[in-house]
Amino acid sequence: MQLLAGGASKEAWAVDAGGERVLVRRAAGGVIHQATLPLEQEFEVLRAAEEAGVKVPHPVAYLGELGGREAFAMELVDGETIGRRIVRDPPPGLDVQLAEELAKIHAIPPERLPFLTGADVLARFEDELDSVGEPHPAIEYGLAWLRERAPEPLPSVVLHGDFRLGNVVVSERGLVALLDWEFAHLGDPTEDVAWPIVRAWRFGRDDLRLGGIGEVEPYLERYVEQTGRKIAVEDLLWWEVLGNLKWAVGSLTQSRRHLNGLERSVELAVLGRLAAEKEYELLHLIEAADG
Amino acid sequence: MADRPDAGELLEAVLEFLAAEVLPNAADQRQKFRTLVAMNALGIARRELESDEETLSADELRDLAARIRGGDIPDDALRLLKQHVAAKLRVANPEYLRLYE
Repeated sequence: MQLLAGGASKEAWAVDAGGERVLVRRAAGGVIHQATLPLEQEFEVLRAAEEAGVKVPHPVAYLGELGGREAFAMELVDGETIGRRIVRDPPPGLDVQLAEELAKIHAIPPERLPFLTGADVLARFEDELDSVGEPHPAIEYGLAWLRERAPEPLPSVVLHGDFRLGNVVVSERGLVALLDWEFAHLGDPTEDVAWPIVRAWRFGRDDLRLGGIGEVEPYLERYVEQTGRKIAVEDLLWWEVLGNLKWAVGSLTQSRRHLNGLERSVELAVLGRLAAEKEYELLHLIEAADG
Repeated sequence: MADRPDAGELLEAVLEFLAAEVLPNAADQRQKFRTLVAMNALGIARRELESDEETLSADELRDLAARIRGGDIPDDALRLLKQHVAAKLRVANPEYLRLYE
């Protein structure tokens, strides 16, 4: 067994199961957002996504508790997931491939996943910010700005919840699979559409607004073509501000996992101080929009 | 405490140790990444020790946060908040601010 460099909130083990290499995904201490799915439900979302034709690692089995923590096994997919490496030389067509997968995700019938819930996103992040117990007036300012300009929501769909580079397996031929379904929930599809545009997910390639790999327009056009949903480029701004706010709050709550002893880690600790990056970006976006 | 090395110099010594001896011998990508994160953490601590940034006090931050939550947003809030967050970033990640120049 080999521990892989998995996500910040889950362990990932490469396991040899009778000659077949599978990936065992196991819970670590604590969660990033309060709305994180238990692994049993995440496994079900993965199955539903596969049924809907979304490119995902084949879900093998839900394993129950392993050493006191939930786990499931899925296909170990070959390819690159590190954002910094993908943006260096993205395969051609990755932008529209992202749009096509997202359109398929948003077509998963919600009744297939009856445990998924949707909540008022602003109330949710306000609660999470309160749980941190530290004053962040910049985040409050973002919440107030978003409240005042809240758009008429589009009909709710199944959302991936963390649709961005870092959770996408990529080969030189293009998109191979989508990972990390733990934040799946119901909501306005624009939330997923705008999330990979957030600056933190451009991995240093700031000139390419779509995840450091392309422009927004071809991606959005392909999505609109596939879904018939009328989302315009200017509709993304509200969700981009929200995305930065979400990641600012997420960085604070992650650092609390270290501070409260759930999972001691210098990686988590530092995030508490890097929340300021997302605070600055959200103020910058607001200033540019109101300017 | 007048004795040397002072806190900043101690942090610098650990940083140099991590850079010269731990980083080149990292067993895998994961350990290399974590070592870089640890060095970054020490860098933040060192900049904080050396910083003479005029930042808002905890009380001022709490008051401002509560005012904004209550809908009573000061006219110059955006300007003030950008200054405040920029001051935090000069300690936490000065490189990041260059993206906006």
